[in-house]
Amino acid sequence: MTVQANMAGAQPMARRFGAVLPLLKGLVAIAAVLLAVELLVIAFGIRPYVLPRPSAVIEAVLRTPGAYRDAMIRTGLETLMGFGAGALFGIWIGVAFSRLRFLRETIFPIFIVSQTIPVIAFGALVVMWFGNTILAKAVIVFYLTFFPVTVNCLLGMRAVDQKQVQLLRSFGASDREIMRKLRFPTALPHIFVALRIASALGLAGAVVGEWFGDTTGLGVLLLQGMYAENMVAIWASILCSAVLGIAFFGAIGLAEKRIVFWGGESS
Amino acid sequence: MTYDPMSPSQHALARGVFGGLALFAIWELAARLFDLPSYILPAVSEIIARFWTARAVLGEAAAYTLGEALAGYLLGGAIGVALALAVTLVPQLRKVIVPAATAVNSVPVVAFSPLILLWFGMGVSSKIVMVAVAVSFTMFVSALAGFDRVDERSVNLMRSFGASRAAILWKLRLPTALPLILSGMRLSTVRSLIVAIVTEMLGAYGGLGWVIYQAVIVIDFVQVWAAIFVASIASLGFFAVVSFLERRLVFWR
Repeated sequence: MTVQANMAGAQPMARRFGAVLPLLKGLVAIAAVLLAVELLVIAFGIRPYVLPRPSAVIEAVLRTPGAYRDAMIRTGLETLMGFGAGALFGIWIGVAFSRLRFLRETIFPIFIVSQTIPVIAFGALVVMWFGNTILAKAVIVFYLTFFPVTVNCLLGMRAVDQKQVQLLRSFGASDREIMRKLRFPTALPHIFVALRIASALGLAGAVVGEWFGDTTGLGVLLLQGMYAENMVAIWASILCSAVLGIAFFGAIGLAEKRIVFWGGESS
Repeated sequence: MTYDPMSPSQHALARGVFGGLALFAIWELAARLFDLPSYILPAVSEIIARFWTARAVLGEAAAYTLGEALAGYLLGGAIGVALALAVTLVPQLRKVIVPAATAVNSVPVVAFSPLILLWFGMGVSSKIVMVAVAVSFTMFVSALAGFDRVDERSVNLMRSFGASRAAILWKLRLPTALPLILSGMRLSTVRSLIVAIVTEMLGAYGGLGWVIYQAVIVIDFVQVWAAIFVASIASLGFFAVVSFLERRLVFWR
């Protein structure tokens, strides 16, 4: 990776700056919105119960940065573990389904139906099975991730043009080669769509999983804020969740740009 | 080759049903053979039996949750489509509404539930608001994508024939956007029930989430499973109804 980066050192500065500029614009816009909200709250004397001042929320985070940092690391780790395992397993199962017709026709309908099950309701059970460990939340995230990834992986594999398969085969390509050079690349954009959906779902799953019992994490902070009716603390936790959510979403977007460089569905 | 009286789709359906029954059979066998305690995995027959004995409680809870989910679903759908329409008709709004909606959506929606519970209380209204928040964003994105598909040349053509803004909206924009709006509505069904149930778990006077939470507290896992079964059936039913309406309304596809 670094070698590539060095070799691309001739890359014009403008392109690098071009990537930073939208980020900068976004930050300025966020700052402007926060300032506007701050002024509105002060001008109309809105009570903190309805809407606390943004500065008070940021101050709350800065007053105990350790608590919020630990919570973000914990929840982020839960999401990352479950998400990574779920993505890999989902792709694996998707590939298996695309190859084995019997498995696909018997099990895939169950997968589709299970998409309509309110999965988070299992949170309580999973926490019972695995205890108040980081593993319990990772399992919830895993479950939420691997379904959409499996479904989209299979759909992507089946979207392959049969004429291309026949062409490759006529040149003597093996099944393995067809998978690696044609089917999998075709499925990748679909897989990334699922990964983007799953990242939001997974984070929500981790937060809800923490409600069923834990000592650190954003879900715990949210609950504590609710029981104490501390609006500033709740908003601070929401802010941290947003940062985590944006980070995950952005990381997947970045990975997609790198891996599906030829441009997928999203472009 | 043997004669096959079933069409391919019937064949697939039969395989699917077979898969479902096989899953239940394996589940039942595993629970019975290994004598699994109910906190690990209760037998299917046990869950179905509970489903029957507790049908009054579960049915009432399901109706409660479905009512909340439906109200929030309709409210959120209306808000999402209205926002998308506003952005389409007044393009200047796009720069304000789209980033704001994206920012709100970057927060996992469940993170809002403590806030909404404090604002709107433990009753039904907090769940309706939560569902509406969750659904409105999905609907906004789908509806906006739908309205963006409208060919501006067609708009200009209709305008040159003297069509009013209302006529263009009703006869061109809405029919063009309808398939995407309805597929958004279909995708939102499951989400609306999940959000209602999760919010009920945090605090409520009734509903499936409340039943699940109470059952967890008294360590009655058969009840948890029965409630999850009911939630799944409700979710499937809701999904099926909306899919049916979708096929009816978008008959030209």
